[in-house]
Amino acid sequence: MEDLSARFLPQFVKLARSRLVQARSAVAEREPVAITTAAGGMHQLAGEAGLLGLHDVVPLARECEAEAKALHASRGDTDAERMTATLGELERAIEQIGARLPATAPES
Amino acid sequence: MAAASSERFIVRAELRAGPDVVISYGFDLTASSVFVVTEWHAAIGTSVSLRLSFPTILEPIDVVAEIADIRVAGEPGEPGGIRLAFDEAEVGVKLMAQLARGEAPGVATDRPYRVLLVDDSWLIRDMFAYGTAKFFERPGALAIDHAGDAEEAWGKLAKSTYDLVIIDYFLPAEDGASLIARLRADARLSRTPIVAISVGGRDAREATISAGADVFVDKPLVFRDLFNTLRVLAERRERARPSVERKSILVFDDSPFALALTRAALEAAGFTVAIAADLSSFERQRVAFDPDLILVDVQMPEAFGDDIASTLRGWHGVQVPILLVSSLDQSELERRAQRAQVSGYICKGAGMSELVRRCREVLQVAP
Repeated sequence: MEDLSARFLPQFVKLARSRLVQARSAVAEREPVAITTAAGGMHQLAGEAGLLGLHDVVPLARECEAEAKALHASRGDTDAERMTATLGELERAIEQIGARLPATAPES
Repeated sequence: MAAASSERFIVRAELRAGPDVVISYGFDLTASSVFVVTEWHAAIGTSVSLRLSFPTILEPIDVVAEIADIRVAGEPGEPGGIRLAFDEAEVGVKLMAQLARGEAPGVATDRPYRVLLVDDSWLIRDMFAYGTAKFFERPGALAIDHAGDAEEAWGKLAKSTYDLVIIDYFLPAEDGASLIARLRADARLSRTPIVAISVGGRDAREATISAGADVFVDKPLVFRDLFNTLRVLAERRERARPSVERKSILVFDDSPFALALTRAALEAAGFTVAIAADLSSFERQRVAFDPDLILVDVQMPEAFGDDIASTLRGWHGVQVPILLVSSLDQSELERRAQRAQVSGYICKGAGMSELVRRCREVLQVAP
């Protein structure tokens, strides 16, 4: 199973980064469809991280999902700031994983 | 053999008595008699030549029979006709031996028996769906597809392979006999077994049989007979199916990454795996792949996995184990799994090792 994780981690990191970019953009625009997409993306990210055993990522992704739903309902600054902060934590967790990847690992 | 001899299913019956030739259908076939639906009558004791057949169930078998009884049409489901008796030792043994056999070698047996029902009545189509779910102990052995008119049917026939086509005579635009003639004229489809159905009586029977239908059955259909026939066909497919060591798992998740990862882990563990990322793909795979286990994600854009699972259980009669797989809280996942009456659940957060372990456990496969 370790081999499998190693094989899929580069792809996971790439996918997570693209979801983070989309989620940040959604928070900035506060556009309902984009926020819904961000919530879905964070939900998927939590599941994918869980399957890979990335236990630091799962709660952060789930928190982002919940905050995206709250932002979708309120469109308020408080929810946007809260989600931005959690996205920052999530990004740091993803980058820590990325930093451990071999430099030559294929990305897809 | 005992099951086949005590149940009703449909066969093509060709009668010859002097100059009279009658092509109709029979049911209630036993080792010593068959009931043939027909308006043709002769005196009890009259000897007739009878040929019985049904594509893939019964190779044409010629029988010398005697009229043992005459019945006038009664309640719906009790059509008029004659009971023909034949020699059990000489004919019945051969008949029952044929019925007990599996499909001939070379027939594609790694999929369910597939039926296309061409009927513009939604109620008839729903009755088939309901009957399939109710009647079949193992519904995965039979897959029924539908078309509402000849053009839709032709499109489906062009894209897919069906083991049997059931065609109503009265269809909008192009009638059933015309569709049957098109099938018989097509090189790829010409040997497809066809059952014609209609309320049109003799005219519809003659039109569809002339066009090339193997069997014509009057409406109102006696679903018990038709489903018995389909069950015999599906069971023959099952008997011919080679035993497969590798258990098969269908995984349904809207995340392509999760699908790829799950597939890789399960294949590495020795399972045969099919994946689906949306509902239409899932339904296609479920029918074609006939999995031993289904894994369904819960939160997906088109539908919730627990609703899909309970529909498969309650409406489609799917009996293979179903596991919900999700990153939801364990208590929430447990609640949904209980409500959907599935076999259990897997928390994605538990990782791939746990997912593989649970699949092995449910399918009783040793590591």
